[in-house]
Amino acid sequence: MSESAFENFPHLLGEWLKGGGPDSDIVVSTRVRFARNIKGYPFTLKATEQQRAEVLALCEEAIQKIHLQRSVVTLELDKMAEVKRDVLVERHLISRELAGGEGPRGVTFGRGEMLSIMINEEDHLRLQWIKSGFDADRAYQALCKVDRALEKVVPYAVSDNYGYLTACPTNVGTGMRISVMVHLPALTMKDHVDKVFKAAKRMNHAVRGLYGEGTRAFGDMYQISNQATLGRSEESILESVKAIVPRILETERQMRGQLYAEDRSFLEDRVLRSLALLRNARRLNVQEMMSHLSMLRLGVDLGLITDVPMQTVNEMFILGQPSHLQEREGRLMNATERDTTRADLVRSKLAAHSN
Amino acid sequence: MDCQCCNKKPARIRICDVDENAIQEQYNVCPDCFALVKRYMFDMARPLMATDDVIREVQSLLGPADKALVLPETAGAITPLVDSVPACPECGMTLSEFKARGRFGCPRDYEVFAEHLDPLFERIHDTQPARHQGRLPAREGESELVTRRRKSAELKARLDAAVAEENYELAARLRDEINQQEGTTQEQA
Repeated sequence: MSESAFENFPHLLGEWLKGGGPDSDIVVSTRVRFARNIKGYPFTLKATEQQRAEVLALCEEAIQKIHLQRSVVTLELDKMAEVKRDVLVERHLISRELAGGEGPRGVTFGRGEMLSIMINEEDHLRLQWIKSGFDADRAYQALCKVDRALEKVVPYAVSDNYGYLTACPTNVGTGMRISVMVHLPALTMKDHVDKVFKAAKRMNHAVRGLYGEGTRAFGDMYQISNQATLGRSEESILESVKAIVPRILETERQMRGQLYAEDRSFLEDRVLRSLALLRNARRLNVQEMMSHLSMLRLGVDLGLITDVPMQTVNEMFILGQPSHLQEREGRLMNATERDTTRADLVRSKLAAHSN
Repeated sequence: MDCQCCNKKPARIRICDVDENAIQEQYNVCPDCFALVKRYMFDMARPLMATDDVIREVQSLLGPADKALVLPETAGAITPLVDSVPACPECGMTLSEFKARGRFGCPRDYEVFAEHLDPLFERIHDTQPARHQGRLPAREGESELVTRRRKSAELKARLDAAVAEENYELAARLRDEINQQEGTTQEQA
């Protein structure tokens, strides 16, 4: 994509933000990722500049060969400004590691932003597919098609004993990670989140914040993902995620029901205060925005708010992030300017649905 | 020397912080404290912590009187590490560098460090044996067969588990799947 094509980019949003799909009252998205490396090259960590350039060229060529049905965008990240790379991070199209990395590296993604292929992250290839709602099977099947097409045109590094060989020992085997992004406001309010996460950990699943490892769970958004990738098949990883996530959803729904039944005015008060604040604030920092959007999302789901569509709520979560704001305005801004612009954005989004 | 963590028991284990093949800091601890330290250091679910932070965490679990002042006396002293296996001929990764970074340098490392990997993989992936059970690229005809063989073995294990749990519906499904699998494997052979 040329620089000019990028100008429209922060305004258009990926399909996974539509807010549909199974269990979309709690699950924002399901993402499946495969880690793959090319035979005959060291992993990115030990690759020279020259080798990284070769891997990048090889992967881009392979991606062209497989004729992805949707039109795709290919970006070479070492040639892009930092703020544009951060926009891609906020969009979940690339990882922080890839954005902040060094040397030749790139990303290819579909216009619908469901498929994204990172090149020269920690592994040569990181393929991912995002679906709206809790839809692990379809995300997996869609990604398999891409993976199987790619394996015919590039030789992957594999071994019979260890499967797909990856830079990090936590990804070896299937190289597959399923991440389910969930919104858990009631569990958070009731202080049950830790208990649920300990249970998930006992069953070999990790829980992280919105933007992956080491990030905080802003806006009551969490990512649940499988930890183990070796010693089980792709199908059994899918099965285990499909066994654990519904239990978390069930608990969240119970807590929502309890809050609503036992203390309805408390819940209504929290939700409607958040809406009033978002409609009137003149300065909003990102954390404040996310915690009130969380209440708004809960209000929309419980039917306490009927004039704001879920898609609008999901969009604000992304468009209000610092790099998206700066890219939209076309300039770098300090924190105060960002807070003002963010408040303006949120007010105008909500004004469009005030009747 | 007393344990630098609890200040009570004799230190029997030395923890070394390694950076670019040199020891930067050392901590001497007793086996009991080390058991606690290990939980923080080798838990992949936690973000990576610096050793002195880990020691502080462990100390916070102990009574106030037990705490020793953690001041590494050996800071600055540089001791070269001796590796038990040679470096990878392809990417130059050494075992100590792999242990310090937690990352492989190239696919060949999986062979070079093979004897050290199974216990690591078993712990990270909570599995035994640490063997791949999933699919492999289809174009390597031989590997396809290997995959299928493993798949049958895994299905059988799941069938046994389903029967033990008296989940007969799942068991019936798995049995059909196994029969189908074995049919294809025989055709291929």
